[in-house]
Amino acid sequence: MEERFEELAALSAFGMLEGDEKRTLDGVIIRDRALKELCAELEDTAALLAGAVSPIAPPANLKGRIRTKIRSRRSGGATYSSGGSGFWTFTGWAAAAAFAASSAWLWMEREKLQTNLQASTAEISVEVEKAQKAATEQRESLEKQIGTLNGEIASLQKRDALAQMRIATLQTTVEGYKQGVAVVVWDSEKHQGVLKLEKMPPVQVGKDYQLWVVDPKQPVPVDAGIVRVDSTGFAKVDFKPVTEVTDASKFALSVEKEGGVPKGEGPIVLIGP
Amino acid sequence: MSPNEITEEELLQRVARGDSRAFDELYDRLSPRLYGLLRQMLHDERDAQDVLQDGFVQLWDHASSYDPSRAKAFTWAVMIFRNKAIDRMRALGRRTRLVEAASLEHATLGDGDSLPGADEDVQTRERAEIVRSALQQLPSEQRKLVELAFLKGLTHHTISETLDMPLGTVKTNIRRGLMRLRELLKGGRDGGAI
Repeated sequence: MEERFEELAALSAFGMLEGDEKRTLDGVIIRDRALKELCAELEDTAALLAGAVSPIAPPANLKGRIRTKIRSRRSGGATYSSGGSGFWTFTGWAAAAAFAASSAWLWMEREKLQTNLQASTAEISVEVEKAQKAATEQRESLEKQIGTLNGEIASLQKRDALAQMRIATLQTTVEGYKQGVAVVVWDSEKHQGVLKLEKMPPVQVGKDYQLWVVDPKQPVPVDAGIVRVDSTGFAKVDFKPVTEVTDASKFALSVEKEGGVPKGEGPIVLIGP
Repeated sequence: MSPNEITEEELLQRVARGDSRAFDELYDRLSPRLYGLLRQMLHDERDAQDVLQDGFVQLWDHASSYDPSRAKAFTWAVMIFRNKAIDRMRALGRRTRLVEAASLEHATLGDGDSLPGADEDVQTRERAEIVRSALQQLPSEQRKLVELAFLKGLTHHTISETLDMPLGTVKTNIRRGLMRLRELLKGGRDGGAI
């Protein structure tokens, strides 16, 4: 048992506790049977000290004065019964006795309730404080975990995104297109990509560049849309093949009729990787 | 069963039922010890008689709240009368005077000398001897603080200030003293001496 509780029990035995110390002891006693027993034993020990004092016979008439005082009271306490002796018999006092007994009982109940209330309040305060502390610690721990997980998720997403991305540079052997630069960034997860063209020569009137995705599982290249370059030969377009591509092994750019064709007809000017 | 064979606990329970004869018997058994205690605490015959009277009236009133499973009848009674004596000291403003060094020096239990009017039977004398002997086995500082706490009803804060002693020392000595007394008196109690 903790020394501080032993100390509170010892001070309590002498009725020395006040305020917070008393509330603390009352609160702990409810849960701690050993401490409760120690308090009772120490109270008993303290009371035994009275036995060290030499007894002195009180004046002979004092008992009579006490009897008189009890008899003269109109309320409080039990009513003297005959107890076999016959003295202090109060006939006709039944109603007053009942009232007195009720008052005493109510007074004692009130005292008990107050004591219980104080003890319960102290205990609840301790429990609430514990619960708040535990909740705070749990919240901080969860927030830390969430932060760690968010970091991991972001890292994984980044890694995953990069893993899904494929970059292809398209090459040419056709004279007149060798200055051109074509790069495709392909997202295999979303089945879509971005094409960026630079320094491409303009197409003839009535013609358009058209992008194709070569998938070994498809019998023919899949149409990925027409691409129109500006006067400097620059274009940047998002594209999505007309049918789903599971394995984009190559990308090709051809010159087709204006508006594009469903199936490649014209010359391929760039292809890669 | 003769009156002497009825325990004080049984008598108190009978008092709770309004048995005036049990009250008489209990008064006869307890009052010499309680009156001696009150005289020791209050140092005034008249005050001690007033408190004894008030205490027995309260005992009669609240006997029904006594729980024999929690305390001996004498323990329960001592707490009532001691508290009343402390209230009396406070009401009379005597506490201020009592904390004066001279008064505190004389706050001792069990000098072994009976005061005039002492009414000790053999059992009471033996019981007193056991308690006094236990007290004598305590280190002097512990004994003094235990006696002050019991007889004067001073708080540990007041004792600390009055004796110019650190509060922690006061509390520690009271704890150690009372715990030691518990051990010393346990044997006597179990053996029926107390």
